[in-house]
Amino acid sequence: MKKYYQIMKNTWDEMVTYRLNFSMWRFRNVLQLLTMYFLWYSVIPSNKSIFGYSHSLILTYILGTSILSSVVLSSRSYDIGDVINKGELSNFLLKPINFFYYLFAKDIGDKAMNIVFSFGELFLLFILLRPPFLIQTNPFYLVAFLIAICIAVILFFFFNLLLGFIGFWSPETWAPRFIFTILISFFAGGLFPLDILPAPIFALFKVIPLTYLLYFPLKIYLGQVQFVEIITGLIISTLWIFGMYKIIEAVWLKGLKVYTAQGM
Amino acid sequence: MTSQQAFLSRSGALIFIIGKILRFTFFFLFLILLGSRTKVIVGYSLWQMIFFYVTFNVVDTSAQFFLREVYRFRSYIVSGTFDYTLSKPFSPLFRSLFGGSDLTDLLIFVVSILFVFIASKNLPHVNFFGVVEYIFLLLNAFVIALAFHITTLSLGVLTTEVDNTIMVYRDVTQMGRVPVDVYQNPLRSLITFAVPVGIMMTFPAKAFMGLLSPWFVILSLCLGGAFLYFSLRFWQFSLLRYSSASS
Amino acid sequence: MGLVMAAISVSHLSKNYQTFQKDPGLVGSIKSLFSRKYETVKAVSDISFKINEGELVGFIGPNGAGKTTTLKCLSGLLYPTKGELSVLGFSPFKREKEFLKQISLVMGQKNQLWWDLPAVDTFLLNKEIYEVSDSDYKVTIDELSKLLDISEFIKIPVRKLSLGQRMKVELIAALIHRPKVLFLDEPTIGLDVVMQKNLREFIKEYNSRYKATIILTSHYMGDVEALCKRIIIIDHGKILFDGLLSDLVKKHAPYKLIKIIFKDFPNPQKLEGLGTVKHFEYPNLTLSVSAEKSNDSASFLLKNFSIEDIVIEDPQVEDVIRDVFTK
Repeated sequence: MKKYYQIMKNTWDEMVTYRLNFSMWRFRNVLQLLTMYFLWYSVIPSNKSIFGYSHSLILTYILGTSILSSVVLSSRSYDIGDVINKGELSNFLLKPINFFYYLFAKDIGDKAMNIVFSFGELFLLFILLRPPFLIQTNPFYLVAFLIAICIAVILFFFFNLLLGFIGFWSPETWAPRFIFTILISFFAGGLFPLDILPAPIFALFKVIPLTYLLYFPLKIYLGQVQFVEIITGLIISTLWIFGMYKIIEAVWLKGLKVYTAQGM
Repeated sequence: MTSQQAFLSRSGALIFIIGKILRFTFFFLFLILLGSRTKVIVGYSLWQMIFFYVTFNVVDTSAQFFLREVYRFRSYIVSGTFDYTLSKPFSPLFRSLFGGSDLTDLLIFVVSILFVFIASKNLPHVNFFGVVEYIFLLLNAFVIALAFHITTLSLGVLTTEVDNTIMVYRDVTQMGRVPVDVYQNPLRSLITFAVPVGIMMTFPAKAFMGLLSPWFVILSLCLGGAFLYFSLRFWQFSLLRYSSASS
Repeated sequence: MGLVMAAISVSHLSKNYQTFQKDPGLVGSIKSLFSRKYETVKAVSDISFKINEGELVGFIGPNGAGKTTTLKCLSGLLYPTKGELSVLGFSPFKREKEFLKQISLVMGQKNQLWWDLPAVDTFLLNKEIYEVSDSDYKVTIDELSKLLDISEFIKIPVRKLSLGQRMKVELIAALIHRPKVLFLDEPTIGLDVVMQKNLREFIKEYNSRYKATIILTSHYMGDVEALCKRIIIIDHGKILFDGLLSDLVKKHAPYKLIKIIFKDFPNPQKLEGLGTVKHFEYPNLTLSVSAEKSNDSASFLLKNFSIEDIVIEDPQVEDVIRDVFTK
């Protein structure tokens, strides 16, 4: 266990070394939040309700996804592809450490730092903007919310792993990641609540894993889902975790074969 | 921390283009989605919102196409290639700004102009003056973008920090995807004039739609010129500092 | 009667790689999804050797000879196609935790240190990964820091260090857990003469102080001559020689070089039959004579010629090894 704590410590030290980069990253997050916040503020003014969302609901949603993305979508595992391509993966294979736990520990370190800052930023914004933020008090919803967040964190981690594994077969690891980032920005629910999509399209979204990164947990928080839907959603997302895990196992083994065959 | 990495192969380039097309299409569809339920957003119709977006896109892609070389600047500074550029008789500023243009960026730029044409067909009462003002303000927007990039280069010379500055530029200008009227004061004044995303993105589109008073047009052009002037002075200052530091 | 088990035991090891030819470009990639021409590369063919605890052995061979492949098999990175391996009683490819805690493989350019942090942060991480106790860690760091003289710069971010400094801290990071078996793949490559010397002394010291078993691959004869009593020559996946360096010289190069500086121009007829002329440019002459006759030849030369200076040298290890390869 101590080794994972040391990994997190090292990750924080790294982030402090790159504090300018990190500050810029937080700044960009705030700008993104402001853009979406004001856009929705204008789209659904205080007396209206559109797409089933009132003024306060939509703003709670947007602010909520901002905090949530610092937990779910922050990661250090974007350079797995490079680690593989440069042959540095061998260093991990030679040590008595699990590569995946190592990566996950780095991610947790990153998320911890991001959450702290995200809360700080939102605290300031709350004072400046005084948004109509809904506080969920129902313990059932809160527990389900936390479970959904854990599932989301694991799902995103798995996505990153798979993207990184592309490095076993191609040096082109950044282009697919670029596309993935774009898909996330639109379809994880950070830009708009996914249920404003036309019903047939939304039905499709209910089965894909992206929906469960931001949209689903936040919907639970808002208390806008029925018990049945919550259970269904948790089951679907958990099935995705198992499915992706199996895929990751298979791809990893195949990838290692290729890696060692190429004399890395 | 890595900045935007160039693609390594043709297939990588293809994927990047697809990504950019997707990004545009998704936001476009998002606007349509919004428009399907709300007639009006801060007083603008759906097609007007679309027009604001495609205008933003033209300015954004034009800067990316012409000024692509700026993205390589950090490596030049760090590796010492910049010193070599300084020793040549050719203007180092010109050399650091232009020349890195990509065929893919050109493609995207041309397509975004096309979209402006298409969108403009759906706007009511467009007159000749509106079009003229639009073109001037678009050029002005490019001038401001140029001023931004020159300032970025100057900061790069002084601090070797380039990538973060560019990212900030991109993120701030992203706010211009929608008309700045959306934002509330004091943020709105800040990004209309101070930053000045509003002048770059919102004003040209407004002028096209006949919604901008001529005084604002003149003000914009003056501010654009002023930005360019100050950015050039800053560049000279940074060069002076740089050469006195290394000698 | 106790049988001393060898620290490293390799028995009929073979390792083949499957590679396939891919046409360049996008079309090639798509084609390769459908049909592939596999080629079998025999990196290592049926090699066997045993190494005892505490030995320092040099693995020598040209590029592609199979040295690195053998090291990777021994460290568990690769699984053998055929044959049996045993390192410290473990089967390397199983990569058991107890096995990994006792070995270390150091490869040239593969950095393991966290780039933006001081080396000490990676040291601490390795300490935890290898479950080294606080006291052992302190002792090891103190000793190794002194040996390599790095105490001043372990607190500086790695990216700010020079190549030589980086090499040193990388080495220490690999030794935090005081591995019983150490594999060094081209450790002195890219280093200047001073650093090479430092590193060689360190390796020697490490071997003697901690009784670690060390296999070292290298191109540099300087490494081999300075460090290895025993060498294994490998080429095209096969072992050409396994034994003492001095035996190699005796067996394959039973000659000595006599280097002469003449005062007066020598009579070529008188020189005939003494030995093979390796190099002659008046007043310098290099003569190759058989080892047994070298002393007699030298005295003969001194008696019959007007000589400024005369020296008897051992053959260059490089030349000896080159001869072994070309045979």
